[in-house]
Amino acid sequence: MVLAQILLNGILLGGLYGLMALGMALVWGVLNIVNLAHGALIMLGGYVVYYIFVFTGLDPFAAIAVAMVIMFGVGFLLQYGLLNLIVRSALLNTLLITFGLDVVITYLAQFLFTADFRTINPSYAGANFSAFGLTVPGIRFAAFVVAIALAAALWWLLNRRPLGLAIRATSQNLVAARLYGVDPRILYAVTFGIGTALAGAAGGLYGMIANLTPYIGASLTAKSFVIAIIGGLTNPFNVILGGIVVGIAESLATLYFGATYSDVVSFGLLVLVLVVRPTRTLRAA
Amino acid sequence: MMGRWPLVLAVLVAIVLAGVPWFGNDVAVQFGINALLLATLAQSWNILGGFTGYVSFGNSVFYGLGTYGTAVAMTHFNLPFGVGLVVGAVVAMLCAALVGIPILRLRGPYFAIATLGLNGAMAAIVSNLPIAGSNIGLVLPLMRGDAIFYELALALLVVCTLTVLWISSSRYGMALVAIREDEDAAGSMGVNATLYKVTALVLSALFTAIAGGIHAYWSTFVDPASAFDTTLNVRMVIMCVFGGPGTVFGPVVGSFILSAVYEVLASEISTAAVLFFGLVIVLAVVFTPKGLTDLMAGARRSGWRYLFRNIRENRL
Repeated sequence: MVLAQILLNGILLGGLYGLMALGMALVWGVLNIVNLAHGALIMLGGYVVYYIFVFTGLDPFAAIAVAMVIMFGVGFLLQYGLLNLIVRSALLNTLLITFGLDVVITYLAQFLFTADFRTINPSYAGANFSAFGLTVPGIRFAAFVVAIALAAALWWLLNRRPLGLAIRATSQNLVAARLYGVDPRILYAVTFGIGTALAGAAGGLYGMIANLTPYIGASLTAKSFVIAIIGGLTNPFNVILGGIVVGIAESLATLYFGATYSDVVSFGLLVLVLVVRPTRTLRAA
Repeated sequence: MMGRWPLVLAVLVAIVLAGVPWFGNDVAVQFGINALLLATLAQSWNILGGFTGYVSFGNSVFYGLGTYGTAVAMTHFNLPFGVGLVVGAVVAMLCAALVGIPILRLRGPYFAIATLGLNGAMAAIVSNLPIAGSNIGLVLPLMRGDAIFYELALALLVVCTLTVLWISSSRYGMALVAIREDEDAAGSMGVNATLYKVTALVLSALFTAIAGGIHAYWSTFVDPASAFDTTLNVRMVIMCVFGGPGTVFGPVVGSFILSAVYEVLASEISTAAVLFFGLVIVLAVVFTPKGLTDLMAGARRSGWRYLFRNIRENRL
């Protein structure tokens, strides 16, 4: 029973992890940028939701919708004004510039929001219900549902909408997409904006089940990366599935090794994934 | 490849720097030790990051292992400082090989991301080891004499720079650069890319660990938070990129300049100092991705337009 409960917790947490990785996988697959600032953007989204919740009293889940719009704008401007300038240069440079962005965002956050722990704490935070003899924490369940819904929305956008067609066409062949009337500068900015909006949503949900500090970015980036590798870059549902794998692994590791080693476990998982599945082609097809 | 003048100038600068303890005050010597050790870190990062283009965001792990190796050897086994340095260096090189062999087989961003997680993992392991003083840390025997540590740090930087000088003109270094420029082509010319990348990482770990060991004995105290300090990664990467990755003197010049700026900023607001570093790396990648050394050569040729050449080549 304990094991079943641990597995359930892992699955619920994993849905959120999958949502964290969705934006990174999208940007990596389409723009070929491994965004090292992704975790910092998740953190930023968390704070945006936190402040909307605290100052307006808006329900956190509604605040997430608002935060996604704001974060879309942030991502759009970042790509349009900065990353588009160097997007065609070597991988080294895109890694370095997003690393620099990570540092800038982290320390701006420390400056503006201070290093105190923050939690988004709505009145129903402690509520839970039971199903099949297991306790289901309400807010984690809701976070899981939101993650699945956003993955479905992304799938629908990519596969059923003209914008998604343009995004996929650009990721396959930039020159050909350009000939068919796609403006890649706008399209890249929109794609990065969508990725950032998803990161913002993930941050808001993260803030409801864990503490927000300005320093959570780096470990979330590494986690998103592992999940993106496991799930691949093409299908949003596979990314969620990858997140669930990592969520379960982490819950089991905490059960058997204790929480102090959670960083060691996620690093071990990363190395393991790289050793076992190195040949997987990650570019979106 | 390189003219005679930079070498002559470098030797002169080294001689002048060696004299600082005789005519400088305590503050200058202490700032000097930190600046020289940071320059060594940037220069060792350069061996892998600059020459092969494989970015490590976890080199502070080798620094941490160097500090702990030295500290544990000196406090628990009463070994002399020199032996402690060797212990730290060996541990760090083993760690580099263990991490490098599985991950550096892969191309692309995998290594960079894996190193992001390495630091946290190692800090967690060390803070759970009783022999390493767990969370509390270790206190090393006290030795006064900033001048000795200063000369040691300078000597280490000189040796490290000489190593990079040798690399830049050897077959080994050419293989590293070939990997950076086109790994397929390098492979088809018979370069065993994994072997070269791993040895570059191990070499980088060697110098980083010794720098850590010197700092440990100088500050007489190590704990997980300061040994595995992530802002150290930020600094070494940025100093190298700012100065000129893949060049011999760029990382040293870059770190001297940035150390001085950091010292001024940190005395005002410490947050602003790290923020400044983040901005420097963003701007450096956009405007001068080949570093200060290339900027000086390029500005002579094409003036201020040099700054926009990179954008013109790489924008969408």
